[in-house]
Amino acid sequence: MPPAATTNLGYTPPDGGWGWAVVFGAFISIGFSYAFPKSLTIYFKEIQEYFDISYSQIAWVSSVMLASMYAGGPVSSILVNRYGSRPVVMVGGVMVSAAMVIASFGKTIIHLYLCVGVIGGFGLAFNLQPALTIIGTYFQVKRPMANGLAMTGSPVVLCTLAPLNQFLFDSFGWRGSFLILGSIVLNCCVAGSLMRPVNKNALPKPEAEPSECNGAAAEEAASVPSANLLTEKNQSESKSQGCMEKLVDFSLFRHRGFLIYLVGNVVMFFGFFAPVVFLAPYAKHLGIDEYSAAFLLSIFALVDMFIRPATGLLGNTKWVRPRIQYFFSFAVSYNGVCHLLCPLANGYVGLVIYAVFFGLAFGMVSALLFEVLMDLVGAHRFSSAVGLVTIIECGPVLLGPPLSGALVDYFGDYKYMYYACGVFMLVPGIFFFIMHYFNYKRLDEEQRQAEAVDMRTCEEAMELKTSPDDKTVHETDG
Amino acid sequence: MIPGKRRAAVMSFSVVIFGALMLQSVSSQNEPSITASEHTQLPVEGDMFTLQCNLTSAHSLHQESYWMKNGEEIPETRGLNRNTEYKLQKPRGDDAGLYMCVYTFETSPSANATIEVKSAPEITGHKRSENRNEGQRALLYCKSVGYPHPVWTWRKFDNGLYREIDNSSGRFFVSSRDNYTELHIIELDIGQDPGEYSCNATNMIGSREEKSVLRVRSHLAPLWPLLGVLAEIIILIVIIVVYEKRKKPEDLQDDDDPAGPVKTNSTNNHKDKNLRQRNTN
Repeated sequence: MPPAATTNLGYTPPDGGWGWAVVFGAFISIGFSYAFPKSLTIYFKEIQEYFDISYSQIAWVSSVMLASMYAGGPVSSILVNRYGSRPVVMVGGVMVSAAMVIASFGKTIIHLYLCVGVIGGFGLAFNLQPALTIIGTYFQVKRPMANGLAMTGSPVVLCTLAPLNQFLFDSFGWRGSFLILGSIVLNCCVAGSLMRPVNKNALPKPEAEPSECNGAAAEEAASVPSANLLTEKNQSESKSQGCMEKLVDFSLFRHRGFLIYLVGNVVMFFGFFAPVVFLAPYAKHLGIDEYSAAFLLSIFALVDMFIRPATGLLGNTKWVRPRIQYFFSFAVSYNGVCHLLCPLANGYVGLVIYAVFFGLAFGMVSALLFEVLMDLVGAHRFSSAVGLVTIIECGPVLLGPPLSGALVDYFGDYKYMYYACGVFMLVPGIFFFIMHYFNYKRLDEEQRQAEAVDMRTCEEAMELKTSPDDKTVHETDG
Repeated sequence: MIPGKRRAAVMSFSVVIFGALMLQSVSSQNEPSITASEHTQLPVEGDMFTLQCNLTSAHSLHQESYWMKNGEEIPETRGLNRNTEYKLQKPRGDDAGLYMCVYTFETSPSANATIEVKSAPEITGHKRSENRNEGQRALLYCKSVGYPHPVWTWRKFDNGLYREIDNSSGRFFVSSRDNYTELHIIELDIGQDPGEYSCNATNMIGSREEKSVLRVRSHLAPLWPLLGVLAEIIILIVIIVVYEKRKKPEDLQDDDDPAGPVKTNSTNNHKDKNLRQRNTN
């Protein structure tokens, strides 16, 4: 069973029903957030010629967009905590759309930085966080599956947007394409409209921790009184958190699991994206022609696409779910091993095998990335947690590829970059394994203590209930 | 005349003649002579064509020999033989040019012989299609191989025939150089400029041409897809919102709708409201 921290929701998540529509909405939102900046690179050559600027200047558009998307995390968290997921996603969609439309009329590259980069990036941030957060509110038992499915949005939307962008570019040029992309991105608003806030009162029976206790005390439809028992506990808890939850929850920095996740991820992200960026150039460096090199990326994306739901499914099984942190640690370490072995691959066949294994690894980590965070901090604090995590990860994500590029330039050989990326992923993987071993031990201890306390209060309640005086029962409700 | 003086005159005259003859023979002996292959024209029969040069006479031993093509030395052709060859494997268009075998000497200037390998021009690169927006500039180009370098002409397909381009508006610029030509069109006009253009390369052996298509996009072109997508999005949102409002009275309480009445029979109404407020999100 998942650790005790996550069950204090105060209601039963539906784990299905409208939840799957929400997963679809999240699929679209997450897909656009991750795939949109990558797919815009198709226009760069033409824009570069149009404005007569260098390649690095145009590459900044992508970097600024990614940076804004990660930096907008905390802002997004605050808004989600305050207003819920749906309005934020819709505002985000409108922002990106407006940014693209304005950019299509841009006269200098600075306009593009501001519109596509800053405003577009923030708009995408407003899509990403709420989509992840709302999954946590709708799913508990099937959450890894839901997360895995939602994260599949990224490769699927990328595979759709890439040829679409090429077609738009050929038909309309970059200005016309930006205009049309502005309207296509409004589909995020459609996704947002699907994100109905979860109905917390529809199913009155909450998750019962001392289930034996409930079974004995609730003969009639007395599950409501026991709900009140738990909600009282929640109320006193949330009173203290009430003010904090309005803004960002900084108390997360005292949360053991959150700190483990943060430290590991910061190191990991240095080596996470660089191999994807350099897959095609490495292939060309080995003498493979352009089309085959591009095909490698397609293989990678295809494997990624299928492995994400599969990972979600696997994470949901009763063997993996309780110890899902180990699964994540394994995925990260496997990534590292993959990169360390990459330089051994020679020729096109070797690279294809590498692309398949790398796709597996990348998909596994991506599918579990936010699931493990939810597992650690719980759905309540997930919104703030993901905001803090993304803004701190901003650094490694942006610095990773350029640093790897510098390694390649300095040594003139790609293998040192792969070794470096491999190390950057293997070390956090092992770190996760060790730290989570201790964390699980601690959590099990805390669980046992909490259960002991509950048993005592439960026994007291049972004693009161078995007394023939009905008034006393209602008094406990007060 | 005194007989001695006549003899002296004849002697000096014959010395002069002899000297002149000697000089001539010496100087002609100084000039090396090279026999070279004939000028030829591609294509040739067979898989290989050999260019030959033979240094038939020279006053001194030559140092080495090498080949040049179109004024640039061909690498790895340096050798020491009097008889030097350069083989062209399956000669094609880009093998045509002006070839030269050069013999270098220590104390005198080098000697050379030229062999022309001619061919009709072959257009190796051109832009198949060019799509631009109104008012922008378009660039069409053609590259060729062959020798001698061709004369380039650009034509436009108008009313069933290729005609010379009408440059009354002054927006067309052609720049040609050796084996490369460019056609620049500035301030594209969506009415007149779109169509098929052809570049024609002609030299004394033959001529070739290739077509390029120029398309000009209107500023309003993206408007229709834009409106289409917007319509689709609005329809979807309306459907979703209407579906939700319909379900609302049944078993749903919408948190985002403050004006809506709270319809529950539960006596725990109070507590549920608190529950909603505290546990936001």
